[in-house]
Amino acid sequence: MLQLVADGFIIGSVIALGAIGVTLVYSILRFANFAHGELLTWGAYLAWTALIGIVAVWGPAEPLGPFSFGWPLLVALAVSAVATAALALLVDRLLFRQLRRHGNAITLIMASFGAALVLRNLLQFIYGAVPEYYSREIQVAIRLVPRDVLGGLRITPDQLFVLGLTAVSVVGLHIFLTRTTVGKAMRATSVNPQLARVTGIDVDRVIRATWIIGAVLAAVAGVFSGLTVQLRPQLGLDLLLPLFAAAILGGIGSVYGAVVGGLIVGLAESLSVPLVGAEYRAATAFVVLIAILLIRPTGLFGERT
Amino acid sequence: MTALRVVDLEAGYEPGLPIVRGTSLAVEPNEIVAVLGPNGAGKSTLIKAIAGLVPVSAGKVLLHDRDITGRAAHHLAHEGLGFVPQTENVFVNLSIEDNLDLAASILKVPKKQRLRDLYDLFPDLARQRRLLAGRLSGGQRQMLAVARALVGEPKVLMLDEPSAGLSPKLVGIVFEKLLDVRATGVTIVLVEQNVKAALAIADRGAVLVEGSTRIVGTARDLAGDPQVAALYLGQHRGGS
Ligand SMILES: Nc1ncnc2c1ncn2[C@@H]1O[C@H](COP(=O)(O)OP(=O)(O)O)[C@@H](O)[C@H]1O
Ligand SMILES: [Mg+2]
Repeated sequence: MLQLVADGFIIGSVIALGAIGVTLVYSILRFANFAHGELLTWGAYLAWTALIGIVAVWGPAEPLGPFSFGWPLLVALAVSAVATAALALLVDRLLFRQLRRHGNAITLIMASFGAALVLRNLLQFIYGAVPEYYSREIQVAIRLVPRDVLGGLRITPDQLFVLGLTAVSVVGLHIFLTRTTVGKAMRATSVNPQLARVTGIDVDRVIRATWIIGAVLAAVAGVFSGLTVQLRPQLGLDLLLPLFAAAILGGIGSVYGAVVGGLIVGLAESLSVPLVGAEYRAATAFVVLIAILLIRPTGLFGERT
Repeated sequence: MTALRVVDLEAGYEPGLPIVRGTSLAVEPNEIVAVLGPNGAGKSTLIKAIAGLVPVSAGKVLLHDRDITGRAAHHLAHEGLGFVPQTENVFVNLSIEDNLDLAASILKVPKKQRLRDLYDLFPDLARQRRLLAGRLSGGQRQMLAVARALVGEPKVLMLDEPSAGLSPKLVGIVFEKLLDVRATGVTIVLVEQNVKAALAIADRGAVLVEGSTRIVGTARDLAGDPQVAALYLGQHRGGS
């Protein structure tokens, strides 16, 4: 039981970080971006490429303390975050920006499906379909709770790293949105783009900031997924529906909702495994989603309009 | 020098369908000019076009003799044009303070001093600066909307029906404030359906019908003009 909860939080962390991007793009650019999952995949693979590059130049490094990875993965994560942000800005420039001028929400959503397809196939073409790993080190799980208490709890240092960095990212984002001018401008633009413009806010800049933040968190989520599971070209596609479930569950547009929604979806998936088996775990996210939406149609943190 | 000059302006939401059709208007520094006209005449569209929110297809807009035609809205905010939309004119998810503070950061004005000046002008806002703007009552929300538009010390302030939805008493209070604002040197363009209240504080008025200026005159002349009254007949029964 405890073990399933812990596992749920780890999957939930990945989903939460991805769902923040979905919800931010939705609230500022006003469309559901079905290509967001691919940013997670690209983030994971770009980090892998950076990792190989770093190791090729500086040689392999010792793992940091109890972790399975050394400093090169941390640098690779930073490189990937920058590169994924650049990729998101490029896709926006080439595709979404053109459609914002003339298209409507449906055009943008369909375009995002197209972008997802292109991004996924391009990635598979470059990297192939064979799963990869950041490290082949075997990690010893730490026993936090003995087996006779609620089934016990074992957790690997890498998993603790994921939980810790997720918490740091969420707190960092909170500070950014509530304390900085760009963060406040993003919140202002999300509720009232026209008023934002007459207040002097350059909405194009806000949109760029949105893509950068969404993509950076997507890269982190992708690396976490690669670290705790493996790298596969389907990584982001498999996470797409949980990301949307989390964003909608939390109340689309709400960053905190996306975080809580991500954790709930992760927990629901994990806890349902002994009940319905691993094949149907993805479906449980939707049962929870529908149940909550029946009670609260705007999601947990959504505004009642 | 003219504070704001509009010359044969043509603007609309869709190409080939101008809503504002050949409107001209000149506003002198420190004047209050009321833009009147029946519902659907294009008053909102006119000031949105001036503010850079609606595409201009012909004509010119000059702000302090500088051509600003077709400039993006956010640039105009930096160049001294203040705009208060009719509805949804505050950021409801930010506190009063953050509404003003954000504008000050964006427009790069000395924050502390500017906010102090504005709080002096609107003491009601100062008392509840931590309150979420979405929780404000109609009158206070309108005050915040005006204060927000004033943060960048605009040369010209344009307001779209600030009296809409307010009780007569509140209309009096808000319009009284507009006179205070004018006293600080700001030029005001006031779009209104509430002809009586608007002409009571305006120096001059312009009547817009079907997208073009029909009658321009002093507030006093317009207030007594039967033609102006006729335009509102059946439109504005009792209300104002
Ligand atoms: N966003 C819009 N898109 C298309 N047409 C609009 C829009 N807003 C207003 N209109 C049209 O423009 C005309 C003038 O509207 P408006 O400028 O709001 O008039 P007023 O403010 O004088 O009541 C109306 O016929 C209205 O239907
Ligand atoms: Mg109007």
